[in-house]
Amino acid sequence: METILFYILSALIVIFSIASVSSRKILRAVTYLLFVLIAISGIYFLVDYSFLGAVQLTVYGGGVIVLIIFSVLLVHHIELELEVTPLKKKIIAGLISATGLGITLWAIYTFPFTNATTYKSIEVADIGRKLLGYGDGGFILPFEVISVLLLAVIIGAIVIAKGKKLNE
Amino acid sequence: MGYEAILVLLLAGVFLIVLANFLSNLLSHKSDNPAKREPYECGIETIGPTWIQFKVGYYLFAILFLVFDVEVAFLIPWAVVYKEIGTVALVEIIIFLFILGLGLAYAWKKRALKWE
Repeated sequence: METILFYILSALIVIFSIASVSSRKILRAVTYLLFVLIAISGIYFLVDYSFLGAVQLTVYGGGVIVLIIFSVLLVHHIELELEVTPLKKKIIAGLISATGLGITLWAIYTFPFTNATTYKSIEVADIGRKLLGYGDGGFILPFEVISVLLLAVIIGAIVIAKGKKLNE
Repeated sequence: MGYEAILVLLLAGVFLIVLANFLSNLLSHKSDNPAKREPYECGIETIGPTWIQFKVGYYLFAILFLVFDVEVAFLIPWAVVYKEIGTVALVEIIIFLFILGLGLAYAWKKRALKWE
């Protein structure tokens, strides 16, 4: 049953990825990308990694896509279709993709996978304990540094978007 | 986890929509004339492309939303283990939220939240 679901999700990811890069209307490409991201979160839920699945849905499916859509809408001539890719570029892109696929497959097939003897699902609580742990093996400092990073993102975005007006 | 239930729900959803569309296509009365193909708009017809460039203000709001979206992703594990860790967790999250609050205050101060 899980195998069937896995193949359904994988097929969705592959189909919509191809649709996303081959669509000549830019807003449609973004919509296909949204489907890809949602299907990836489905894979995360399938392998019982529900926290990452939820983060994938909220941050990527919710946040990043909104950001990409707005940056697309900021483009001047959105109604224009992207030009047809020349054959030479298509061949180069195909070769690069094939190389990437080859390297990935080689890495997967040569890696000595062993069957896991004990199965432990990672709960949200485990992540929270690690993240907020102030003792040995805790990650409380990186956790606080994340907030500084997010602060830098806010300030950077405002400075760039507001531009000259800040100086007035 | 009951994957069978998800699959059945998925198939049922797809089946219902396909069936509803197919039946309404089959049963509906079909007529076509040029007036029907006009867009539903009041007033005069639009001239030229209707896609326009959006204000950069939208982008600012989108990125602010994204930042606080990421923050939620970190708040969830905190909320799950809050009782376990106790007061220290409260102090930790107050520092976290304070630093992020500085960002919001900065946005407020620089009038980024104001729609101009």
